[in-house]
Amino acid sequence: MLTVIDTQTCNIQSVCNALKRIGADFEIATERDTVTSADAIILPGVGAIAPAMTALRERGLVDVLTEKASQGLPIFGICLGMQMLAESSTEHGDHDGLGLIPGNVIRLEISGPDCRVPNIGWYDCRPEGNGVLFPASAKNQTFYFVHSYHFACTDPASVAATIDYGGQKIAAAVEHGNVFGVQFHPEKSQDHGLALLDRFVSHVKARN
Amino acid sequence: MAQPRLIPCILLKNGLIVRSQGFRIHQIIGNPVSTISRLSNWNVDELILLDISADDIHDRRRDDHGIRYDGSSMLGLLRQIAEVSFMPLTVGGRIRTLDDIRDRLAAGADKVVINSQAVSDPDFISQAAQRFGSQCIVVSIDVLRGSDGRLEVYSERGTKPTGLDPVDWAVEAERRGAGEIFLNSIDRDGAGEGYDLALVRAVTDAVSVPVIACGGVGKYTHFPTAIAEGAADACAAANIFHFYELSYPHAKKACLDAGLAMRDVGLGSRWFPREPVYDKAREDIWIAERVERAHKNLGPKKIATEIPRLSWCKSCVYPSSTATYAEYDEVGECSGCRTDRVKRLIPQAEWDRRLDLLKGILEQARCRDGSRHDCVIGVSGGKDSYFQTHMIKNVLGYNPLLVTYFGNNYTPAGLRNLYRMKEVFNVDHVIIYPSVETLKKLNRLAFTIMGDMNWHAHLGIGTIPMRTAVRHKIPLVIWGEHGEMDLSGQFSMNDFVEWSYRARLEHEGRGFEWNYMVGREGLSAQDMALWQYPTDAEIFETGLRGVYLGNYVYWEANDHSKLMRERYGFEPIDEPFERTYRTTSNLDDMHENGIHDYLKFVKFGYGRCTDHATKDIRAGILSRGQAVDLVRKYDHIKSKDLYRWLDYVGMSEKEFDTIADTFRDPRVWAQIDGTWRKREIWEDGR
Repeated sequence: MLTVIDTQTCNIQSVCNALKRIGADFEIATERDTVTSADAIILPGVGAIAPAMTALRERGLVDVLTEKASQGLPIFGICLGMQMLAESSTEHGDHDGLGLIPGNVIRLEISGPDCRVPNIGWYDCRPEGNGVLFPASAKNQTFYFVHSYHFACTDPASVAATIDYGGQKIAAAVEHGNVFGVQFHPEKSQDHGLALLDRFVSHVKARN
Repeated sequence: MAQPRLIPCILLKNGLIVRSQGFRIHQIIGNPVSTISRLSNWNVDELILLDISADDIHDRRRDDHGIRYDGSSMLGLLRQIAEVSFMPLTVGGRIRTLDDIRDRLAAGADKVVINSQAVSDPDFISQAAQRFGSQCIVVSIDVLRGSDGRLEVYSERGTKPTGLDPVDWAVEAERRGAGEIFLNSIDRDGAGEGYDLALVRAVTDAVSVPVIACGGVGKYTHFPTAIAEGAADACAAANIFHFYELSYPHAKKACLDAGLAMRDVGLGSRWFPREPVYDKAREDIWIAERVERAHKNLGPKKIATEIPRLSWCKSCVYPSSTATYAEYDEVGECSGCRTDRVKRLIPQAEWDRRLDLLKGILEQARCRDGSRHDCVIGVSGGKDSYFQTHMIKNVLGYNPLLVTYFGNNYTPAGLRNLYRMKEVFNVDHVIIYPSVETLKKLNRLAFTIMGDMNWHAHLGIGTIPMRTAVRHKIPLVIWGEHGEMDLSGQFSMNDFVEWSYRARLEHEGRGFEWNYMVGREGLSAQDMALWQYPTDAEIFETGLRGVYLGNYVYWEANDHSKLMRERYGFEPIDEPFERTYRTTSNLDDMHENGIHDYLKFVKFGYGRCTDHATKDIRAGILSRGQAVDLVRKYDHIKSKDLYRWLDYVGMSEKEFDTIADTFRDPRVWAQIDGTWRKREIWEDGR
């Protein structure tokens, strides 16, 4: 069963509404025990990384996520959920992430008058390569971003899609084996976002 | 840089969408859930939802509407909206504490708008930004430009001067952690003259956080100016999105045409049909509960909200329970009378200008290659149909295609009037006759479901002309007067409101789309094909507009029917109606007065005579005293027409009465000693 992790530090209702809309079967897990039967995991998130990681740890979810990832289960992080896939983050101090994709989360760098932090709004995403979430055909798709930090991947091959942030290319989506993440909010990006969630759900179904 | 955004701003008052003017006048537009789900389908960049209610009481008044939502509070509504909206949602209004913010974010908001609380306690901005992050804290600044040009920030929905300068206040809001500024111009609100670009520019120059400009948009080309000239990050507006069909896609196109790098126009969703998706099992239960109440003779469901005393407009004879929502001013006059007075004071020079506007619209639609007609007029064969055709064909010289939805309910005189049109006007006329079996089923179903057997006629009349126009690639449909504007002042004369899917669904269809009937009494989707409305893409590609003649030509029904009788042989009714004194209205429908309108009386406590008398008071033909006498004589009559209809659909009078009783508005009716009673207008003031 597709399992959405609810650490109760963020509102997951929008993600659930979107999954319902595309007709996906899913369940919500707040504790370690309820994750064990998962065959794919969605990790949503908003807010800061420290309280979110603490909530995962307190619920015994860090180990189970690491274990599931090593077993090859598809894991999909959204926004802060994507940043938690990294090894570490510099948001308000130095914090460990789940370490499922090599790289660090760092603050957006203002490189010109058009750059703002937090970065809020719509961007066209450019597929890098031909991934599950961003097949090469997924061009001119626009998604909604709200973030102040971004995922700097160690291996450029982990970057699945990018946006142009004031002349810098930053990761909009990451893909590393069975671990996926998007910086934007697909649940708030209308048809493009729902179609992306649907690609993930179809990928999970095709595996089973 | 993020793409500039185009943002509709929806004002909610006690759970319903309102139109706003000068932050003071608020006219009810309709149901938020259906409107917002459609916005989500159009690639709307973001939605701002502002609750301007004084309290959190949501009283939707009508139990006969198909678009319902659970709960009766802003948070309940927000949760329901979140289910149908897959765009960023910014929510404001009545936010005073950090917990208010938390609750809105939890219910589905992505950002919140704070205003008055920030003015009275600027530290609230800092606390909110610290707890929830700057990215979700939008500070709203309402600015009034005085007659001397001086700018001042107002709080409490534009009622309280603060002494603050908007630029200084925006800078302080940013310093305290506001992630965005939502800048409103009070004096431009509802004026339609464009943004106060000097104000927008002054603020965007002073802050580095994004600025959303709002207030004053009257046409689509105003939108891009806020970004191109005002340097705003987003352009927003409220009213205009309720005035025209596909207004958001058209506004987006105006921005793209102006060279702004925005997201594409969206006209539908793969995941989300425009037509409501009904949970049939849930609806079946809802219908069965009503039938059971009817069998037990229980009358209407009790309502939890406190019931305000039934009262009447001081100028006309409308009760506070009108089916078309009216707003009352401080002296107790309804918005219908106010709007009507504005209409009557429009000088001839302005009517001349309006006629020129209409000619411009017709000239744009005119067929240049002989492949089609110039426009479509939906006609019932009534006096208004005659007047519309007279204006378009004989006064303005265009060639319309007349289209009729035939509901199998004509009076003999109405039928003669209908068939005469092709002769006296020398026009082509298409009449669509739905299957009588289907019509009987729809009469029965709609009576039980919404207490209105004429749903098929209202929705059919609202659908067939647009279907025909799209089919023949005719980009213009001419409607008569705007009913809700005429009766209850829903819009202003300067809005030039046009036909829309929203109005069709909510007013004509009472919130019930054609697909609600599929699977009931054996009806299939194909049986309902005639009631299926063109898709948004078809409407956009055809460039289809439906304009109301009443916005461009002075509309006085009594004068029209006199002219149409003299000039075109229009016939009044053969024998007088039992429920009203007018003899030239509703000839196209022998069930309209005796059954449909009787049901209105059962539901809301007033009938067609009240409508006619109200119009005639406003026209100066009746005094209020004379009108009250007529209302007393006609409104309550149970007409013999009813027995003809009962025979037509095969229903007993008892079944009719007990089901009708379940629709009685508890605000109006009380059962005393086994009889339904209400306050009467002639007792008012005693």
